[in-house]
This record gives sequence, C-alpha cells and structure tokens, in this order.
Amino acid sequence: MTAVIETPVIHVLGLTKTYGTVRALDGLDLTIPRGGVYGVLGPNGAGKSTLFRILLGLIRPTDGTATIMNGPVGDIAHMRLTGSMIETPRYPPYMTARQVLRWLALEHGITGTADIPYWLERVGLSEAADRKVRGFSVGMMQRLGVAAALISKPELIILDEPTSGMDPPGIQEMRALIRSLANDDGLTVVLASHQLLEVQRVCDRVAILNKGKLVREGAVSELTAVGERLRLSAGPVDQVLSVLGAKGVRDGDGVLADIPRAEGPALIRALVEAGVDISEARWVGTDLEAIFFTETGAVQAPETIHAG
Amino acid sequence: MLVDAIRAEGFRLSKNRTALFWSLLFVPIISLAIGALTNFVLKGSETKILGDEKMPPELKAALGRGTLDMADALVTAAGNLANPLVLLFVLIGAATLYAGDYRWETWRLISARNSRVNLLLAKLAVVALLALAAMGFMLLGSVLENLIKAAVFERTLTFALTGEAAGRFIGFFGLSWLRIIQFAMMGMLAAVVTRSLLAALFVPLVVGVAQFFTPQMLGPMGVMPDAWLSMLVNPGASIDAIQAVIAGGEVAGALPDGLVLKAWVSVGLWTLAPLAGALAWFRKQDLSKE
Repeated sequence: MTAVIETPVIHVLGLTKTYGTVRALDGLDLTIPRGGVYGVLGPNGAGKSTLFRILLGLIRPTDGTATIMNGPVGDIAHMRLTGSMIETPRYPPYMTARQVLRWLALEHGITGTADIPYWLERVGLSEAADRKVRGFSVGMMQRLGVAAALISKPELIILDEPTSGMDPPGIQEMRALIRSLANDDGLTVVLASHQLLEVQRVCDRVAILNKGKLVREGAVSELTAVGERLRLSAGPVDQVLSVLGAKGVRDGDGVLADIPRAEGPALIRALVEAGVDISEARWVGTDLEAIFFTETGAVQAPETIHAG
Repeated sequence: MLVDAIRAEGFRLSKNRTALFWSLLFVPIISLAIGALTNFVLKGSETKILGDEKMPPELKAALGRGTLDMADALVTAAGNLANPLVLLFVLIGAATLYAGDYRWETWRLISARNSRVNLLLAKLAVVALLALAAMGFMLLGSVLENLIKAAVFERTLTFALTGEAAGRFIGFFGLSWLRIIQFAMMGMLAAVVTRSLLAALFVPLVVGVAQFFTPQMLGPMGVMPDAWLSMLVNPGASIDAIQAVIAGGEVAGALPDGLVLKAWVSVGLWTLAPLAGALAWFRKQDLSKE
C-alpha cells in the first residue's frame, strides 16, 4: 500500500458543533481513508449533515479541527478537490440542467463545455439537458446534483442521501454509478443515507454516529461477519441437531449452526454421511441494520428485522 | 479565482431574463415612450401653446426650431442617471443576485468551489457591470428621444462631445455610477444580514430617503448643510457637490472651502462601509439554512 492511499481524505478531531443548548456534534473523532465508498450512518439528529456542512465550509465548528484532502476546512485550494451534494439540491429555476452544470463549472474555472454532455449522460439526464430545472422531479434534482458534484473532476465526493426521492430503478442506477465512481474513476465517495440495505450493498466502510459521537466504525464485511452462522435447510431437523450438538439451534424449518466458516465443508460432509437431506446451506451474518439499531439504541420496527 | 466567480455569476445572470428585462430595459423603454409621446403631444398643441401668453417661456423654447445639441443633452442625461427610477430597477437585478443563493439554497452548490470573499465580490462586480449596462441603455434611450424630438420639431442636430463637454460627461457618468453602486452596496449588506430579497431591494431605498431628509432635521439643531455631519449623513448631497465642481461655473465657485473633501469622504464612507460590513458578516455566516 502506498503512502498516498494511506492519506485520509477526511480527518476530524474533537469536532463539536452546538446550536444553543443542542450539541449536534460532540467531540467527534473520525478518519476516512482514501479510496472506496464510505458510508456515514446515524438516526436523525446524529450529526451527519452537520459534519458534512462543516467539511464543506457551510458552517463553522464550535470546537475541534477538521481537514479535508489534507488541508484545513475552509482552505479553498483543498476544498476544490471535493464535489458535494447536500440534501436535495435546489437550483436557480430559470436555468436548464446544462446551464446549471456550465455555471458550476465556471465557478471552478472550467470554461470548456465538453464534459457536460458526458456527466448528463452518466446520471441519466441527457434527454432533460435543455429543460428548465423548475420542472424537475426530486429524483432528477438528485441526479443533477451528483453531476454538479462531479463536473469539476474532484478526488473526493460527498453525497448526502443521494437516492432520496428516487424510484427503484433510479436507486439501482445510482448505486451502480457510485460503485463505478469508486472502482473505475478512482474517487473516494463519502455518503450518508438512511437506507441501510443500500449502504450495506454499496459501501466498503461505514461509520455509525449517534448523538454527535462515533459509536462504530469499520469495514462492512468485518462488521457483518461478526456472529456469522451457517443456516441449513435440511431434514430431518432432529438428526441435524444431533450431529451439531450444542452448536446447533432450530430456526423455523431449518437449523442455525454456530461454527467457524472453515468448518463448514466438514460439517456438510458429516451431515450427508449421517443421511441428512440438505436443500440449502448459506452463511448469514449480522446485517448493518441490526448493528445500526444496536449501536444507536433506536427502536426497530418488527417488519424491518432480518434474519440475515 | 475571482475572475472565475465573476464569470460564473455573469453567466447565471445572463440566463435570468426576467431580472435582465426589469433591470436593464424597462426604465429606458418607458422613458423613451413617455418622452416620444410628450414630443408628439407638444407638436400637436404647438399652435395653441405658442399663441397662449400664459404658457411658460421654457415650454415655448422647447418648441423652437433652433439646433439641438446632442452632446449637451447627453451630459445632462449622464448627470441624472442615478435617479430613483433607475435605482429602483437596477436594485431589482442586484437584489436577485445578492439574495438568490439564499432564496434557492444554492450556497451549498458553490461554497466549496470558491472563497467566500470571491463569491461576494463577484456578485458586486456583476452588479457594477449591470449598472453600467443599465446606464448605457438609459443614454441610448436619451439619444433616441432627442432624435425623435429633432425629427418632430424639425430641429438641426449638432454633436461635439469633446474637451470640457467630454470631461463633464465622464465625470457625471462616473458619479451617477458611484451613486448607484452605493445603493447596491447597501443592498448587498441587507441581503447578507437578512438573507432576504425584499430587504436587499427596499432597505437601500429607505436608507436613501432617510439620507435625503436627515440634513433637514439637523438644520434646526444648528448643524449647517456644509458641516461634516450633514455631508456624512447625506452622500446624495455630496454627489451633488462634486457634480457642481465638475460642471464648473458660478455654483462651483460659490462652494464653501473644504466641501469637496467632505463630499469625497462621505461618498467613500457610504461606498466602502457597507462592503466591508457585508464581507465581514458573510465570512462568518452559517450557510446551513440559506
């Protein structure tokens, strides 16, 4: 791994922001590495948007320090390496999508217009390029916001709820775009989202904030691997349980086996030799949603509980 | 970087046809229409006016057949460019520029792309250009109106904007522009502090009215019109004093000693203080809720 890769794109230390008596951020420490897609999760009021707004220079912290692209927040030379979309963006209503991108490119000193059709195409707005934005849906506003964030060819892109207001195909396209930005374009993507399944699918690492503090951080694969078990749809169930002994527990019409992943093949062989019919065997871990509710103490609605 | 911000702001304004129409074209069109109509009405009543002894001599002179000095007309027009009507409509465009990012919550789109000082100065620069363009259209309207007058009353046109006349024209034009910029600065300060388009439009106008009446209130308190206080609270009077100096003649000679210095200090103060205030406020302003 090179030194460049190890350089964090965002580093905050003891970051605090108070609004009157409310502490939106409470001494937050967070380091976001370069590369990949990084998710910032948290319930409403956790401090995600406040963190993003500080990083983008929209508001000043009450205390603490923050650096972005290795420079202090507010240093425009470093901040210009960042593209962003905060909440659902709004635009001057008299402009077309193409004009919005041209305007924002000019703000960056980019006078050429060659890239504008490319980014409009990439976010699926080519056909609406010359329509006034006052007639855009929320989803189209979001797409244009992503294009606006990318028009300056940043190294880091910060997206706040990028799929908000989008229909399912749009969400899928956005997810693919975000992954592509990280994988193909080499960008670091930092996003906040309430859609935990989306985050789990698209992010490499996540940070969970609650009440302005970091409560959990790590690679998604590592976080969700904790408590991983093998779920077997096999019968007869009693015979499966007798083979597993204390490591097995009934789970509906199947069995959950609490064994390390390395022991999986041996267990399957043992079960087959014992005459068990196995119709399905799959590893199930703790999903991000379960971790989120555990860490934030939020109440989980019954319909959102997942087995894996 | 500042030039990037100016270019972006100018591009954005160029797409706002509503603001451009009201700021640049409405007043010249209306002025031209009223001026032309007045000429036609006067022409239609020419015999009656000339034959009526009660009519003022100035009105009769306007119907004369002598030469029409376009250069003189332009110089006079340049001195009157910062009239309340022009101010009001230029401020509509300025207010849209200043308050648009609060109104449409677009600071979040541009705050990481350029420094805050550059973003605000770019708005001011574009407003300054907008004011110049508005003044240019007003002068064009004045030229057209005089051409119509010359055609209607069959007057011979002369045009010699050289020497002293050119100097007066440039001086008057510059002072009018400075007066408009003063109001634009106040509009910028009001927009930044209140985040409101209406405040950006009306606060400067209200302040302008107050500036006009304050010296009249100071008079009974024993403060003379040429005193520092009177001059400082009324930059409009300061502009008038400087304009008198540029015009020359008896009025200029009768001005009290030191008045021009006071006038320039007043003009400078009312131009730079709102700018400094707006920049200072904006640099520390939370833009979380535009």
